[in-house]
Amino acid sequence: MHRRTFTLGLLAASLLGSLWGLPAQAERLASIKQAGLIKIAIPADFPPFGSTGPDMKPQGYDIDTAELIGRELKVKVELVPVSSANRIAYLTTGKADLLISSLGKNPEREKVINFSVAYAPFFNGVFGPKDLTLDKPEGLAGKTVGVTRGSIEDLELSKVIPVSANLKRFEDNNATIAAYLAGQVQVVATGNVVATTINAQSKRPRRLEQKFLIKNSPCFVGVNKDDPQLLEQVNQIINKARKDGELNRISLKWLKTPLASSLL
Amino acid sequence: MNDFTLGDILHALLGGLQWTAILSLTAFVLGSCGGLIILALRLAHRPVLVWLAKTFIEVFQGTPLLMQLFIVFFGLSLGGVEIPPWLAAALGLTLYTSAYLAEIWRGCVNAIPNAQWEGSAALALNRYQQMRHVILPQALRMAIAPTVGFLVQVVKGTSVASIIGFVELTKTGGMLANATFEPFLIYGLVAAGYFLLCYPLSLYSRHLERTLHVAR
Amino acid sequence: MSYQFDFLAVARETPELAAGLARTVELTAVACVAGLLIGIIGAACRAWQIRPFNTLFAVYVEMFRNTPFLVQLFFLFFGLPTIGIEIAPDSAAMLAMVINLGAYAVEIIRSGIEATPKGQIEAAQALALKRWQIFLHVVLRPALLRVWPAMTSQVVIVMLGSAVCAQISTEELSYAASLIQSRNFRAFETYFVTAGLYLALALLLRQTLLRGGGRLLKRGRP
Repeated sequence: MHRRTFTLGLLAASLLGSLWGLPAQAERLASIKQAGLIKIAIPADFPPFGSTGPDMKPQGYDIDTAELIGRELKVKVELVPVSSANRIAYLTTGKADLLISSLGKNPEREKVINFSVAYAPFFNGVFGPKDLTLDKPEGLAGKTVGVTRGSIEDLELSKVIPVSANLKRFEDNNATIAAYLAGQVQVVATGNVVATTINAQSKRPRRLEQKFLIKNSPCFVGVNKDDPQLLEQVNQIINKARKDGELNRISLKWLKTPLASSLL
Repeated sequence: MNDFTLGDILHALLGGLQWTAILSLTAFVLGSCGGLIILALRLAHRPVLVWLAKTFIEVFQGTPLLMQLFIVFFGLSLGGVEIPPWLAAALGLTLYTSAYLAEIWRGCVNAIPNAQWEGSAALALNRYQQMRHVILPQALRMAIAPTVGFLVQVVKGTSVASIIGFVELTKTGGMLANATFEPFLIYGLVAAGYFLLCYPLSLYSRHLERTLHVAR
Repeated sequence: MSYQFDFLAVARETPELAAGLARTVELTAVACVAGLLIGIIGAACRAWQIRPFNTLFAVYVEMFRNTPFLVQLFFLFFGLPTIGIEIAPDSAAMLAMVINLGAYAVEIIRSGIEATPKGQIEAAQALALKRWQIFLHVVLRPALLRVWPAMTSQVVIVMLGSAVCAQISTEELSYAASLIQSRNFRAFETYFVTAGLYLALALLLRQTLLRGGGRLLKRGRP
């Protein structure tokens, strides 16, 4: 009787163990190659890096980069749309193998995941209507500022913003931009290329004029801590693409400028 | 990029509506099965089972659907079980639906007069037989109207799945609103889409309530 | 490397959670009072078919009961301002909750009013009570008492539904949770703790409303 309980307990423990103590896939690269499929998290709300086209499919700089990496690894790519706030959780919980979603680097994030070499330039800043004079963070006092939760802008701005400013955080970039265009916030913090793209697309009278830049924060591919092999492979692919003009082609297509010299 | 015609918009929204309907039906069908199980536990004569059912109902009726979806979505993947947003949404909504339906149905079973239990007991029926032949047929009749009424809540609840990234009607609307810069039009259409699904159900539920009450 | 739970990472953010909780309570309180008022007015118009308000209230009730709260929120926050109807960003969530609860309250209270026995009104008329006295004491108060449990459930449902208000940057409890998890990357632990807080709030709210509401409605009854 006791023995049976013991066996049952052992069985339960090993079952639980297999559920909760799942050993990380040490050979994720191998398993990706074997499956012939890599899951890459991309933004769906961040033009020109990732947005929805009229065919309801994702398109943009990050999507082209993801396809490039898939091509070089000779595997199919499954695009997983994510938002700024939850994208790191997608990577750490294994819902995606790679994170290519205009991700900036900071010490907090470096504790949790690894970063590749940079694959895209990115400046973030504060944008507002034309008639508003504003050239430094102190000028934000008393204003409502829209920002996407969990983005580099959010983290950086939170440090320097005056206490009297009302920082309103939105779940995704879509909502942040929509709130600005609807006049629900006075200014927004976002990427310079994002602002340019929205200005080009939107016919609304409310424009996004650059007020000041917050940070030069190029984009990196996020890789899980326990996948050093995958990281190395991704770095090789990006370095090659920087040299052979592939990234330049993507830059011309989506950012309308040649690849920034800092990335060459 | 900004060349969405009204046709494109309606086409995309219809696609979203379809997923809303599929998710609603899945949650409703599976939730009905779950609800029956919880109901059985709740009506059992074992205190442990009753406690289990009560706790389940309390937890799922006492926490936001959004939190339930987040926990299912992020929790299961921590346990090494990989699930896509649609499955997390279906699972979360099923649990939520089970809790509410179990409680609605228990109300109906409780509404059966005690005399029915006593009468059937006098006929030497055991508890299962009492349930099967006397109580449930009557309770079922009473349960139809509120159950259809709850289906409306399920349909509306599916909109929360958009937040964990399931592309149904609300999510499609959000994507379109940002690509077209016409949030007034788009969210108006999205609301109309839900109304088209829900209003007939509401009317039907009310109709059932009237006719079944008269017949009783 | 198996996953190590770290609930301490959430405990460190107690001030954020407390602030969010306070905002959720505030939103719920306002929605409860204002929604109840809308419910009483609407139910009276519907029950006695006061034109044209009975039709207007009927349309209002059906519109808001048959569309998701989240979509109503988006429509108010993103949609209306683009056609020139400005809604202060901080009040959009509150407005949506009031309107939403109001729609349910109209139907709930109406069912209570319609269950008033005819004889009671006739008796009150025989006692030469004024119309407003009859409405207040003979119709409304017993009606509210009758439907109070249903009303309480609906308030709890609306409170739980307010979790989606974070989508329009309302700084309530789920907003605090999302903010915390985007900082500590502990999604599961954060949402788990937050769900627990919601559960506690729901239980407390239900008890308070059932006890307090019942006592208030019964007090000084003739």
